[in-house]
Amino acid sequence: MKNGNFGSTKGQSGHDDPILKVSNLHKSFGALHVLKGVDMEVRRGQVICLIGSSGSGKSTFLRCLNFMDHPSAGIIQFRGKTIGSESGKLDGVATYRYKESELAQLRTHVGMVFQQFNLFPHMTVMQNVMEGPKTVLKVGRAEATARAEENLRKVGLLEKANEYPSRLSGGQQQRVAIARSLAMKPDVMLFDEITSSLDPELVGEVLGVVRKLAEDGMTMISVTHELGFAYHCANHVMFLHQGKILEEGSPDQVLKNPNAERTKRFLDGFTGFYF
Amino acid sequence: MRDFTWRWEAMPHYYRVFLDGLSVTIQLSVAVFCFAIVGGMLIGIARHSERRILNWPATAFIEIFRNTPILVQLVWFYYALPVVLDQHIDGFSSAVIAIGCNTMAYFAEIFRAGIQSVERGRWEAGYALGMHYPQVMRRIVLPLTVRRMLPAFANRVVEAVKGTSLASTIAVGDLMFRGQELANTIYMPFEVYTVVAGMYFLAIYPLILASYWLERRLALTNGVTL
Repeated sequence: MKNGNFGSTKGQSGHDDPILKVSNLHKSFGALHVLKGVDMEVRRGQVICLIGSSGSGKSTFLRCLNFMDHPSAGIIQFRGKTIGSESGKLDGVATYRYKESELAQLRTHVGMVFQQFNLFPHMTVMQNVMEGPKTVLKVGRAEATARAEENLRKVGLLEKANEYPSRLSGGQQQRVAIARSLAMKPDVMLFDEITSSLDPELVGEVLGVVRKLAEDGMTMISVTHELGFAYHCANHVMFLHQGKILEEGSPDQVLKNPNAERTKRFLDGFTGFYF
Repeated sequence: MRDFTWRWEAMPHYYRVFLDGLSVTIQLSVAVFCFAIVGGMLIGIARHSERRILNWPATAFIEIFRNTPILVQLVWFYYALPVVLDQHIDGFSSAVIAIGCNTMAYFAEIFRAGIQSVERGRWEAGYALGMHYPQVMRRIVLPLTVRRMLPAFANRVVEAVKGTSLASTIAVGDLMFRGQELANTIYMPFEVYTVVAGMYFLAIYPLILASYWLERRLALTNGVTL
Protein backbone atom coordinates (compact mmCIF):
# COMPACT_ATOMS: atom_id res chain seq x y z
CA MET A 1 0.00 0.00 0.00
CA LYS A 2 3.03 2.19 0.15
CA ASN A 3 2.65 2.36 -3.58
CA GLY A 4 -0.76 3.93 -3.23
CA ASN A 5 -2.30 1.05 -5.07
CA PHE A 6 -6.06 1.32 -4.56
CA GLY A 7 -7.07 0.50 -8.12
CA SER A 8 -9.46 -2.30 -7.24
CA THR A 9 -11.12 -0.94 -4.12
CA LYS A 10 -14.56 -2.49 -4.12
CA GLY A 11 -15.92 -1.33 -0.79
CA GLN A 12 -17.10 2.10 0.16
CA SER A 13 -13.91 4.11 0.59
CA GLY A 14 -15.13 7.37 2.02
CA HIS A 15 -12.80 10.05 3.25
CA ASP A 16 -9.17 9.22 2.79
CA ASP A 17 -7.86 9.20 6.34
CA PRO A 18 -6.79 5.69 7.26
CA ILE A 19 -8.53 4.13 10.27
CA LEU A 20 -5.44 2.14 11.03
CA LYS A 21 -1.91 2.98 10.00
CA VAL A 22 1.10 0.81 10.73
CA SER A 23 4.66 1.99 10.12
CA ASN A 24 7.81 -0.07 10.27
CA LEU A 25 6.42 -2.63 12.70
CA HIS A 26 8.87 -5.02 14.30
CA LYS A 27 8.18 -7.94 16.59
CA SER A 28 10.63 -10.32 18.21
CA PHE A 29 10.02 -13.24 20.52
CA GLY A 30 13.34 -13.49 22.34
CA ALA A 31 15.98 -13.96 19.67
CA LEU A 32 13.41 -14.76 17.02
CA HIS A 33 12.80 -11.73 14.80
CA VAL A 34 9.31 -12.42 13.42
CA LEU A 35 8.27 -9.10 11.91
CA LYS A 36 10.95 -7.06 10.21
CA GLY A 37 9.38 -3.76 9.38
CA VAL A 38 5.80 -4.01 8.10
CA ASP A 39 3.75 -1.05 6.84
CA MET A 40 0.03 -0.92 6.24
CA GLU A 41 -2.80 1.54 5.85
CA VAL A 42 -6.40 0.53 6.33
CA ARG A 43 -9.21 2.73 5.06
CA ARG A 44 -12.88 2.50 5.87
CA GLY A 45 -14.64 -0.31 4.05
CA GLN A 46 -11.45 -2.01 2.93
CA VAL A 47 -11.14 -5.76 2.99
CA ILE A 48 -7.52 -6.77 3.32
CA CYS A 49 -6.30 -10.35 3.16
CA LEU A 50 -2.92 -11.39 4.52
CA ILE A 51 -1.52 -14.49 2.93
CA GLY A 52 1.77 -16.33 3.26
CA SER A 53 3.17 -19.64 4.36
CA SER A 54 3.14 -20.62 8.03
CA GLY A 55 5.87 -18.88 9.98
CA SER A 56 5.77 -15.86 7.68
CA GLY A 57 4.53 -13.71 10.57
CA LYS A 58 1.04 -12.98 9.28
CA SER A 59 -0.79 -14.07 12.42
CA THR A 60 1.72 -12.26 14.63
CA PHE A 61 1.19 -9.13 12.57
CA LEU A 62 -2.57 -9.37 12.97
CA ARG A 63 -2.23 -9.96 16.72
CA CYS A 64 -0.09 -6.84 17.00
CA LEU A 65 -2.89 -4.76 15.51
CA ASN A 66 -5.04 -5.15 18.64
CA PHE A 67 -2.06 -5.73 20.91
CA MET A 68 -2.72 -9.36 21.75
CA ASP A 69 1.04 -9.32 21.16
CA HIS A 70 2.86 -6.08 21.86
CA PRO A 71 5.02 -4.82 18.98
CA SER A 72 8.73 -4.61 19.79
CA ALA A 73 9.15 -1.43 17.75
CA GLY A 74 7.29 0.66 15.20
CA ILE A 75 4.17 2.79 15.14
CA ILE A 76 0.51 1.84 15.17
CA GLN A 77 -1.95 4.68 14.71
CA PHE A 78 -5.67 4.37 15.16
CA ARG A 79 -7.69 7.17 13.59
CA GLY A 80 -4.58 9.31 13.45
CA LYS A 81 -3.67 8.78 17.10
CA THR A 82 -0.46 6.93 17.91
CA ILE A 83 -1.02 4.14 20.43
CA GLY A 84 1.33 4.16 23.44
CA SER A 85 4.00 6.65 24.43
CA GLU A 86 7.46 6.64 22.95
CA SER A 87 9.95 4.96 25.25
CA GLY A 88 13.19 4.70 23.27
CA LYS A 89 14.76 3.22 20.21
CA LEU A 90 15.54 -0.32 19.10
CA ASP A 91 18.02 -0.51 16.22
CA GLY A 92 16.96 2.98 15.23
CA VAL A 93 13.21 2.27 15.32
CA ALA A 94 11.04 3.96 17.93
CA THR A 95 9.69 1.73 20.69
CA TYR A 96 6.56 2.38 22.67
CA ARG A 97 5.25 1.71 26.14
CA TYR A 98 1.60 0.76 26.28
CA LYS A 99 -0.96 1.41 28.99
CA GLU A 100 -3.45 -1.39 29.55
CA SER A 101 -6.33 1.08 29.78
CA GLU A 102 -5.48 2.56 26.39
CA LEU A 103 -5.21 -0.89 24.83
CA ALA A 104 -8.53 -1.98 26.33
CA GLN A 105 -10.12 1.16 24.92
CA LEU A 106 -8.62 0.46 21.47
CA ARG A 107 -9.84 -3.13 21.52
CA THR A 108 -13.45 -1.98 21.85
CA HIS A 109 -12.98 -0.50 18.35
CA VAL A 110 -10.95 -3.35 16.86
CA GLY A 111 -12.77 -6.67 17.03
CA MET A 112 -11.01 -10.00 16.73
CA VAL A 113 -12.13 -13.50 15.83
CA PHE A 114 -9.79 -16.39 16.60
CA GLN A 115 -8.96 -19.65 14.92
CA GLN A 116 -10.14 -21.58 17.99
CA PHE A 117 -13.42 -19.60 18.45
CA ASN A 118 -12.71 -19.13 22.17
CA LEU A 119 -16.32 -18.80 23.20
CA PHE A 120 -17.04 -18.58 26.92
CA PRO A 121 -18.18 -22.14 27.68
CA HIS A 122 -20.06 -21.26 30.87
CA MET A 123 -22.34 -18.83 29.07
CA THR A 124 -25.12 -19.45 26.58
CA VAL A 125 -24.80 -18.20 23.02
CA MET A 126 -26.90 -15.18 23.95
CA GLN A 127 -24.83 -14.43 27.05
CA ASN A 128 -21.63 -14.75 25.02
CA VAL A 129 -22.79 -12.08 22.61
CA MET A 130 -24.17 -9.83 25.36
CA GLU A 131 -21.02 -10.05 27.46
CA GLY A 132 -18.95 -7.36 25.70
CA PRO A 133 -21.64 -4.68 25.51
CA LYS A 134 -22.75 -5.40 29.09
CA THR A 135 -19.43 -5.72 30.89
CA VAL A 136 -17.23 -3.44 28.79
CA LEU A 137 -19.53 -0.85 27.25
CA LYS A 138 -21.89 -0.92 30.25
CA VAL A 139 -24.99 -0.71 28.08
CA GLY A 140 -28.32 -1.61 29.65
CA ARG A 141 -29.80 -5.09 29.52
CA ALA A 142 -32.39 -4.19 26.88
CA GLU A 143 -29.79 -2.65 24.60
CA ALA A 144 -27.39 -5.60 25.06
CA THR A 145 -30.20 -8.03 24.28
CA ALA A 146 -31.18 -6.08 21.18
CA ARG A 147 -27.59 -6.00 19.93
CA ALA A 148 -27.16 -9.70 20.58
CA GLU A 149 -30.37 -10.60 18.76
CA GLU A 150 -29.49 -8.38 15.80
CA ASN A 151 -26.05 -9.92 15.40
CA LEU A 152 -27.15 -13.49 16.00
CA ARG A 153 -29.74 -12.96 13.27
CA LYS A 154 -27.00 -11.63 11.03
CA VAL A 155 -24.99 -14.84 11.43
CA GLY A 156 -28.13 -16.96 11.22
CA LEU A 157 -28.06 -18.39 14.73
CA LEU A 158 -30.79 -16.61 16.63
CA GLU A 159 -32.60 -19.90 17.17
CA LYS A 160 -29.54 -21.20 19.07
CA ALA A 161 -29.54 -18.25 21.49
CA ASN A 162 -30.16 -20.39 24.57
CA GLU A 163 -27.77 -23.22 23.76
CA TYR A 164 -24.36 -23.62 25.33
CA PRO A 165 -21.39 -23.46 22.93
CA SER A 166 -20.50 -27.12 23.48
CA ARG A 167 -23.78 -28.05 21.81
CA LEU A 168 -22.85 -26.27 18.57
CA SER A 169 -20.80 -27.37 15.58
CA GLY A 170 -17.46 -25.69 14.91
CA GLY A 171 -18.94 -23.58 12.15
CA GLN A 172 -21.78 -22.44 14.39
CA GLN A 173 -19.38 -21.63 17.22
CA GLN A 174 -17.30 -19.52 14.90
CA ARG A 175 -20.37 -17.64 13.70
CA VAL A 176 -21.29 -16.93 17.33
CA ALA A 177 -17.74 -15.66 17.85
CA ILE A 178 -18.23 -13.30 14.91
CA ALA A 179 -21.54 -12.10 16.35
CA ARG A 180 -19.90 -11.59 19.75
CA SER A 181 -17.28 -9.39 18.18
CA LEU A 182 -19.79 -7.48 16.05
CA ALA A 183 -21.93 -6.67 19.09
CA MET A 184 -19.21 -4.24 20.14
CA LYS A 185 -19.83 -2.29 16.91
CA PRO A 186 -16.15 -2.25 16.03
CA ASP A 187 -14.60 -0.05 13.33
CA VAL A 188 -12.33 -2.82 12.13
CA MET A 189 -12.55 -6.60 12.38
CA LEU A 190 -9.52 -8.86 12.55
CA PHE A 191 -9.95 -12.47 11.44
CA ASP A 192 -7.15 -14.80 12.43
CA GLU A 193 -7.41 -17.92 10.25
CA ILE A 194 -10.99 -18.31 11.30
CA THR A 195 -11.69 -21.34 9.13
CA SER A 196 -8.45 -23.23 9.72
CA SER A 197 -9.74 -25.46 12.50
CA LEU A 198 -13.05 -26.25 10.81
CA ASP A 199 -14.10 -29.36 8.93
CA PRO A 200 -14.08 -28.58 5.20
CA GLU A 201 -17.85 -28.74 4.88
CA LEU A 202 -18.25 -26.09 7.61
CA VAL A 203 -15.89 -23.55 6.03
CA GLY A 204 -18.51 -22.29 3.60
CA GLU A 205 -21.06 -21.15 6.18
CA VAL A 206 -18.44 -19.08 8.02
CA LEU A 207 -16.99 -17.53 4.88
CA GLY A 208 -20.53 -16.76 3.74
CA VAL A 209 -21.08 -14.68 6.88
CA VAL A 210 -17.77 -12.87 6.41
CA ARG A 211 -18.47 -12.19 2.76
CA LYS A 212 -21.81 -10.65 3.66
CA LEU A 213 -20.12 -8.44 6.23
CA ALA A 214 -17.67 -7.30 3.59
CA GLU A 215 -20.52 -6.48 1.24
CA ASP A 216 -22.17 -4.47 4.00
CA GLY A 217 -19.05 -2.33 4.14
CA MET A 218 -17.33 -3.68 7.27
CA THR A 219 -13.63 -2.88 7.34
CA MET A 220 -11.69 -6.07 7.87
CA ILE A 221 -8.26 -7.60 7.87
CA SER A 222 -8.14 -11.33 7.44
CA VAL A 223 -5.32 -13.80 7.74
CA THR A 224 -6.42 -16.65 5.54
CA HIS A 225 -5.48 -19.71 3.56
CA GLU A 226 -8.72 -19.49 1.58
CA LEU A 227 -7.35 -17.94 -1.57
CA GLY A 228 -10.73 -18.14 -3.29
CA PHE A 229 -12.15 -16.01 -0.51
CA ALA A 230 -9.23 -13.60 -0.80
CA TYR A 231 -9.73 -13.31 -4.52
CA HIS A 232 -13.47 -12.67 -4.40
CA CYS A 233 -13.81 -10.57 -1.24
CA ALA A 234 -10.60 -8.67 -0.70
CA ASN A 235 -9.75 -5.43 -2.37
CA HIS A 236 -6.19 -5.60 -1.20
CA VAL A 237 -3.97 -8.64 -0.74
CA MET A 238 -0.65 -8.66 1.09
CA PHE A 239 1.82 -11.51 0.77
CA LEU A 240 4.08 -11.86 3.79
CA HIS A 241 7.35 -13.71 3.63
CA GLN A 242 9.89 -14.00 6.45
CA GLY A 243 8.44 -11.07 8.37
CA LYS A 244 8.22 -8.66 5.47
CA ILE A 245 5.65 -7.74 2.85
CA LEU A 246 7.02 -9.23 -0.30
CA GLU A 247 4.19 -8.23 -2.53
CA GLU A 248 0.87 -6.42 -2.25
CA GLY A 249 -1.85 -5.07 -4.43
CA SER A 250 -5.20 -5.99 -5.88
CA PRO A 251 -6.23 -9.67 -5.74
CA ASP A 252 -5.88 -9.84 -9.50
CA GLN A 253 -2.37 -8.60 -9.38
CA VAL A 254 -1.08 -10.59 -6.41
CA LEU A 255 -3.00 -13.84 -6.91
CA LYS A 256 -3.05 -14.05 -10.69
CA ASN A 257 -0.01 -12.15 -11.88
CA PRO A 258 2.46 -12.11 -9.02
CA ASN A 259 5.78 -10.43 -9.64
CA ALA A 260 7.90 -12.05 -6.99
CA GLU A 261 9.25 -15.53 -7.56
CA ARG A 262 8.45 -16.47 -3.95
CA THR A 263 4.81 -15.47 -4.34
CA LYS A 264 4.52 -17.62 -7.46
CA ARG A 265 5.95 -20.61 -5.65
CA PHE A 266 3.58 -20.08 -2.73
CA LEU A 267 0.57 -19.90 -5.05
CA ASP A 268 1.71 -22.98 -6.96
CA GLY A 269 1.22 -24.91 -3.72
CA PHE A 270 -2.51 -24.18 -3.95
CA THR A 271 -3.88 -26.29 -6.74
CA GLY A 272 -7.32 -26.82 -5.34
CA PHE A 273 -8.88 -23.39 -5.57
CA TYR A 274 -10.54 -21.68 -8.45
CA PHE A 275 -11.03 -18.02 -9.24
CA MET B 1 -12.68 -55.92 76.55
CA ARG B 2 -13.91 -59.05 78.34
CA ASP B 3 -15.52 -57.38 81.34
CA PHE B 4 -16.41 -54.19 79.58
CA THR B 5 -20.04 -53.16 79.52
CA TRP B 6 -21.12 -50.51 77.08
CA ARG B 7 -23.34 -47.96 78.70
CA TRP B 8 -24.94 -46.21 75.79
CA GLU B 9 -28.03 -45.41 77.81
CA ALA B 10 -26.04 -42.77 79.68
CA MET B 11 -25.24 -40.77 76.55
CA PRO B 12 -28.63 -39.07 75.94
CA HIS B 13 -28.30 -37.36 79.33
CA TYR B 14 -25.40 -35.37 77.98
CA TYR B 15 -26.90 -34.38 74.64
CA ARG B 16 -26.59 -30.70 75.49
CA VAL B 17 -22.84 -31.04 75.96
CA PHE B 18 -22.48 -32.67 72.56
CA LEU B 19 -24.75 -30.17 70.84
CA ASP B 20 -22.93 -27.21 72.41
CA GLY B 21 -19.66 -28.65 71.20
CA LEU B 22 -21.04 -29.30 67.74
CA SER B 23 -22.35 -25.76 67.57
CA VAL B 24 -18.88 -24.37 68.31
CA THR B 25 -17.35 -26.74 65.74
CA ILE B 26 -19.80 -25.49 63.12
CA GLN B 27 -19.17 -21.84 63.99
CA LEU B 28 -15.44 -22.45 63.82
CA SER B 29 -15.75 -24.24 60.47
CA VAL B 30 -17.89 -21.51 58.93
CA ALA B 31 -15.51 -18.80 60.14
CA VAL B 32 -12.48 -20.70 58.85
CA PHE B 33 -14.18 -21.27 55.51
CA CYS B 34 -15.15 -17.63 54.98
CA PHE B 35 -11.72 -16.41 56.03
CA ALA B 36 -9.90 -18.97 53.88
CA ILE B 37 -11.94 -18.68 50.70
CA VAL B 38 -11.54 -14.92 50.34
CA GLY B 39 -7.86 -15.00 51.25
CA GLY B 40 -7.24 -18.14 49.20
CA MET B 41 -8.69 -16.55 46.10
CA LEU B 42 -6.61 -13.39 46.47
CA ILE B 43 -3.41 -15.29 47.26
CA GLY B 44 -4.11 -17.73 44.41
CA ILE B 45 -4.46 -14.81 41.99
CA ALA B 46 -1.30 -13.21 43.38
CA ARG B 47 0.53 -16.53 43.02
CA HIS B 48 -0.51 -16.69 39.39
CA SER B 49 0.67 -13.13 38.75
CA GLU B 50 3.89 -12.53 36.87
CA ARG B 51 4.71 -9.59 39.12
CA ARG B 52 7.24 -10.58 41.73
CA ILE B 53 5.88 -8.15 44.28
CA LEU B 54 2.68 -10.20 44.31
CA ASN B 55 4.05 -13.60 43.45
CA TRP B 56 6.83 -13.87 46.01
CA PRO B 57 4.89 -13.05 49.19
CA ALA B 58 2.07 -15.31 48.03
CA THR B 59 4.50 -18.17 47.43
CA ALA B 60 6.16 -17.61 50.80
CA PHE B 61 2.81 -17.64 52.59
CA ILE B 62 1.71 -20.84 50.87
CA GLU B 63 4.95 -22.67 51.49
CA ILE B 64 5.18 -21.67 55.16
CA PHE B 65 1.69 -22.93 55.88
CA ARG B 66 1.98 -26.08 53.84
CA ASN B 67 5.33 -27.09 55.26
CA THR B 68 4.70 -26.75 58.96
CA PRO B 69 2.28 -28.87 61.05
CA ILE B 70 -1.11 -27.35 61.61
CA LEU B 71 -0.89 -28.11 65.33
CA VAL B 72 2.31 -26.09 65.57
CA GLN B 73 0.65 -23.22 63.71
CA LEU B 74 -2.28 -23.35 66.09
CA VAL B 75 -0.14 -23.25 69.18
CA TRP B 76 2.04 -20.52 67.68
CA PHE B 77 -0.94 -18.28 66.93
CA TYR B 78 -2.33 -18.90 70.40
CA TYR B 79 0.83 -18.35 72.44
CA ALA B 80 3.23 -16.36 70.27
CA LEU B 81 1.03 -14.00 68.26
CA PRO B 82 -0.45 -12.24 71.32
CA VAL B 83 3.12 -11.51 72.45
CA VAL B 84 4.14 -10.20 69.02
CA LEU B 85 1.07 -8.01 68.74
CA ASP B 86 0.96 -7.21 72.45
CA GLN B 87 -2.75 -7.92 72.43
CA HIS B 88 -4.91 -10.63 73.93
CA ILE B 89 -6.35 -13.03 71.38
CA ASP B 90 -8.89 -15.58 72.55
CA GLY B 91 -8.69 -19.24 71.66
CA PHE B 92 -11.52 -19.15 69.13
CA SER B 93 -9.93 -16.28 67.16
CA SER B 94 -6.50 -17.94 67.27
CA ALA B 95 -8.04 -21.12 65.92
CA VAL B 96 -9.82 -19.25 63.11
CA ILE B 97 -6.60 -17.50 62.12
CA ALA B 98 -4.38 -20.58 62.33
CA ILE B 99 -6.67 -23.15 60.70
CA GLY B 100 -7.88 -20.43 58.35
CA CYS B 101 -4.38 -19.56 57.18
CA ASN B 102 -3.51 -23.21 56.73
CA THR B 103 -6.68 -23.83 54.69
CA MET B 104 -6.08 -20.58 52.82
CA ALA B 105 -2.69 -21.81 51.65
CA TYR B 106 -4.26 -24.96 50.18
CA PHE B 107 -7.19 -23.04 48.70
CA ALA B 108 -4.70 -20.64 47.09
CA GLU B 109 -2.93 -23.52 45.36
CA ILE B 110 -6.24 -24.93 44.15
CA PHE B 111 -7.25 -21.52 42.80
CA ARG B 112 -3.87 -21.08 41.12
CA ALA B 113 -4.03 -24.48 39.44
CA GLY B 114 -7.59 -23.74 38.32
CA ILE B 115 -6.67 -20.34 36.94
CA GLN B 116 -3.74 -21.85 35.09
CA SER B 117 -5.96 -24.48 33.55
CA VAL B 118 -8.06 -21.86 31.74
CA GLU B 119 -6.84 -21.82 28.14
CA ARG B 120 -4.95 -18.79 26.90
CA GLY B 121 -7.58 -18.30 24.19
CA ARG B 122 -10.35 -17.65 26.70
CA TRP B 123 -8.34 -14.89 28.33
CA GLU B 124 -7.58 -13.43 24.94
CA ALA B 125 -11.23 -13.53 23.91
CA GLY B 126 -11.99 -11.40 26.97
CA TYR B 127 -9.18 -8.97 26.30
CA ALA B 128 -10.18 -8.75 22.63
CA LEU B 129 -13.59 -7.46 23.73
CA GLY B 130 -11.83 -4.65 25.58
CA MET B 131 -12.01 -6.16 29.06
CA HIS B 132 -9.51 -5.25 31.75
CA TYR B 133 -7.70 -7.90 33.78
CA PRO B 134 -10.16 -7.80 36.71
CA GLN B 135 -13.10 -8.17 34.33
CA VAL B 136 -11.53 -11.13 32.55
CA MET B 137 -10.79 -12.67 35.94
CA ARG B 138 -14.26 -12.09 37.38
CA ARG B 139 -16.41 -12.81 34.33
CA ILE B 140 -14.48 -15.58 32.59
CA VAL B 141 -11.56 -17.12 34.41
CA LEU B 142 -12.93 -17.50 37.95
CA PRO B 143 -16.31 -18.95 36.90
CA LEU B 144 -14.46 -21.58 34.86
CA THR B 145 -11.92 -22.11 37.64
CA VAL B 146 -14.54 -22.67 40.33
CA ARG B 147 -16.22 -25.41 38.32
CA ARG B 148 -12.95 -27.18 37.65
CA MET B 149 -11.61 -26.98 41.17
CA LEU B 150 -14.75 -28.19 42.92
CA PRO B 151 -13.61 -31.75 43.74
CA ALA B 152 -10.24 -30.62 45.12
CA PHE B 153 -12.00 -27.85 46.91
CA ALA B 154 -14.56 -30.12 48.59
CA ASN B 155 -11.72 -32.32 49.83
CA ARG B 156 -10.04 -29.37 51.42
CA VAL B 157 -13.20 -28.13 53.10
CA VAL B 158 -13.63 -31.53 54.72
CA GLU B 159 -10.00 -31.46 55.89
CA ALA B 160 -10.61 -28.03 57.37
CA VAL B 161 -13.70 -29.14 59.29
CA LYS B 162 -11.82 -32.12 60.69
CA GLY B 163 -8.88 -29.86 61.41
CA THR B 164 -11.00 -27.73 63.72
CA SER B 165 -10.85 -30.58 66.25
CA LEU B 166 -7.27 -29.49 66.92
CA ALA B 167 -8.65 -26.29 68.42
CA SER B 168 -9.49 -28.40 71.47
CA THR B 169 -5.78 -28.30 72.36
CA ILE B 170 -6.01 -24.56 73.02
CA ALA B 171 -9.19 -24.90 75.08
CA VAL B 172 -11.72 -23.88 72.44
CA GLY B 173 -14.97 -25.53 73.51
CA ASP B 174 -15.61 -27.42 70.28
CA LEU B 175 -17.08 -30.89 69.91
CA MET B 176 -13.73 -32.58 70.53
CA PHE B 177 -12.99 -30.46 73.59
CA ARG B 178 -16.40 -30.97 75.14
CA GLY B 179 -16.08 -34.69 74.47
CA GLN B 180 -12.72 -34.84 76.23
CA GLU B 181 -14.10 -32.94 79.21
CA LEU B 182 -17.09 -35.20 79.43
CA ALA B 183 -15.07 -38.40 79.04
CA ASN B 184 -12.77 -37.32 81.85
CA THR B 185 -15.69 -36.41 84.07
CA ILE B 186 -17.88 -39.48 83.71
CA TYR B 187 -15.14 -42.01 82.85
CA MET B 188 -16.79 -43.27 79.71
CA PRO B 189 -14.23 -42.54 76.98
CA PHE B 190 -15.38 -45.31 74.60
CA GLU B 191 -18.97 -44.21 74.50
CA VAL B 192 -18.23 -40.50 74.45
CA TYR B 193 -15.64 -40.61 71.67
CA THR B 194 -17.83 -42.90 69.60
CA VAL B 195 -20.62 -40.37 69.82
CA VAL B 196 -18.17 -37.58 69.00
CA ALA B 197 -16.94 -39.45 65.92
CA GLY B 198 -20.51 -40.14 64.83
CA MET B 199 -21.41 -36.50 65.14
CA TYR B 200 -18.39 -35.42 63.06
CA PHE B 201 -19.47 -37.92 60.42
CA LEU B 202 -23.01 -36.61 60.39
CA ALA B 203 -21.72 -33.06 60.04
CA ILE B 204 -19.23 -33.81 57.26
CA TYR B 205 -20.96 -36.40 55.11
CA PRO B 206 -23.65 -33.96 53.90
CA LEU B 207 -20.83 -31.70 52.68
CA ILE B 208 -19.51 -34.51 50.52
CA LEU B 209 -23.00 -35.24 49.20
CA ALA B 210 -23.50 -31.54 48.47
CA SER B 211 -20.28 -31.38 46.50
CA TYR B 212 -21.32 -34.39 44.37
CA TRP B 213 -24.65 -32.75 43.72
CA LEU B 214 -23.06 -29.41 42.82
CA GLU B 215 -20.61 -31.09 40.48
CA ARG B 216 -23.39 -32.87 38.64
CA ARG B 217 -25.48 -29.73 38.44
CA LEU B 218 -22.66 -27.62 37.04
CA ALA B 219 -21.84 -30.31 34.50
CA LEU B 220 -25.46 -30.35 33.37
CA THR B 221 -25.80 -26.62 32.89
CA ASN B 222 -22.65 -26.54 30.86
CA GLY B 223 -23.15 -29.28 28.38
CA VAL B 224 -20.27 -31.65 28.01
CA THR B 225 -16.97 -29.85 28.02
CA LEU B 226 -15.71 -26.84 29.90
